[in-house]
Amino acid sequence: MPSNDQPTDVAAYAAAVRLALSDLPTQEADILLEDLEDHLAEIAAEGDASLADRLGPPQQYAQELRAAYGAHPSARAQHASLRLTARRAVQQVVGSKVYEEVRAFLPQLRPAWWVLRAYLAVLILTAAFSRGDGLGPIPDPTTKRGLAQILATGVAIWLSVRFGRRGRPLPQPARVLAVSANVLIAFIAILVLGNMRSFAYSQVIGTLYQGQPPSDAAFAAGPVTNIYPYSQDGKPLTNVLLFDQDGRPITMEPSEAQTTYPIGADGQPITNAYPLNQRHMSGDPVAAPRVALPPWPTPTATASPSATSSPTASPSPSPTR
Amino acid sequence: MSQAELDTTQLLKGVLDLAVLAVLAEADSYGYDVVRRLRENGLDHVGDASVYGTLRRLYQAGALNSYVVPSEEGPHRKYYGLNNRGRKALDQSAQNWASFSKALNHLLNGRSNGHAK
Repeated sequence: MPSNDQPTDVAAYAAAVRLALSDLPTQEADILLEDLEDHLAEIAAEGDASLADRLGPPQQYAQELRAAYGAHPSARAQHASLRLTARRAVQQVVGSKVYEEVRAFLPQLRPAWWVLRAYLAVLILTAAFSRGDGLGPIPDPTTKRGLAQILATGVAIWLSVRFGRRGRPLPQPARVLAVSANVLIAFIAILVLGNMRSFAYSQVIGTLYQGQPPSDAAFAAGPVTNIYPYSQDGKPLTNVLLFDQDGRPITMEPSEAQTTYPIGADGQPITNAYPLNQRHMSGDPVAAPRVALPPWPTPTATASPSATSSPTASPSPSPTR
Repeated sequence: MSQAELDTTQLLKGVLDLAVLAVLAEADSYGYDVVRRLRENGLDHVGDASVYGTLRRLYQAGALNSYVVPSEEGPHRKYYGLNNRGRKALDQSAQNWASFSKALNHLLNGRSNGHAK
């Protein structure tokens, strides 16, 4: 004897089968499933057991049907199923507990955003209208610009909060505009802040680096630790005293080699007599480097009028002597 | 599903068209009736969905006629019957099956004879 809920059982089972075959092209599905309900009703009329008990789960039934019919999903249906997967993923996120918690928590952050967007808007305007460097995320109250910035930020916060607290929602087009403006402020602010040197860097680190001479950078091979003067004819000179443009003795930075300075008659070390007498940590004296002396122009080649002005002591065929 | 059932299911897949055509050659029939008659003839593991799908495919391929018979107590029944194309398909498939089964039987007999010797 058929059970009372037989028609609903048939309808539900057929619906599940149709759903499982929803990826088939519509026309094909129509032909295949044309009299599915009648067929299932016939089976249901045979006994009391539910269709799922007698035929297996509807998904499996659909699979068997698909195989026997030799049907393939359409390309369009595959796109649709991709879209379906994406929608399911979104639904899963939206339905999750974490999302709900975040959603419940977000409105509480709104006033914070009202303040933040006012500050960011003033920051963007300041960055747009001032070309000076040293513009930091925190206004400098010791400058006129900084003071104006702080004042403007205060006014902007007041306006922003007032605007945010206005209870009634905006009409649709204005709402879109407002959301776009908020997103734009956040986006530009990220760019501006990214380009900005931080307060700490510009104020503290910047001054620290100012006093550092670029000595290492000037000599690619490393710092100068000693100077070996040579005469024009290639003889190594000793105890050459070097001074800079202001008359100060030129000295070397202390290096790993130990330097022994000659002591003057007044008891003071003479620190600018080159080459310096240096010893390695091991005690061995630092050997003079091999140098490539440049070839000077030969006297015959320079027998031009300018040769007379040469102050060198080289044997010159000058007839003025 | 046991191994025997699995084997039968695999075998059925290849010959279900022939089996359905043979049943309909005896008498026009509707979906559930075809399943029942196949089972009565010893094809116990034939699936309802497989038969339904096969009927729809053969009908779509133009091998079957179809007509609805109103029923007083149950749902309307869609009857299927062979048309000329269906009968030709049945003849062709039956010949194929005959030669195929003959070859396979020969192979199997040869093996059992070989064991016997």
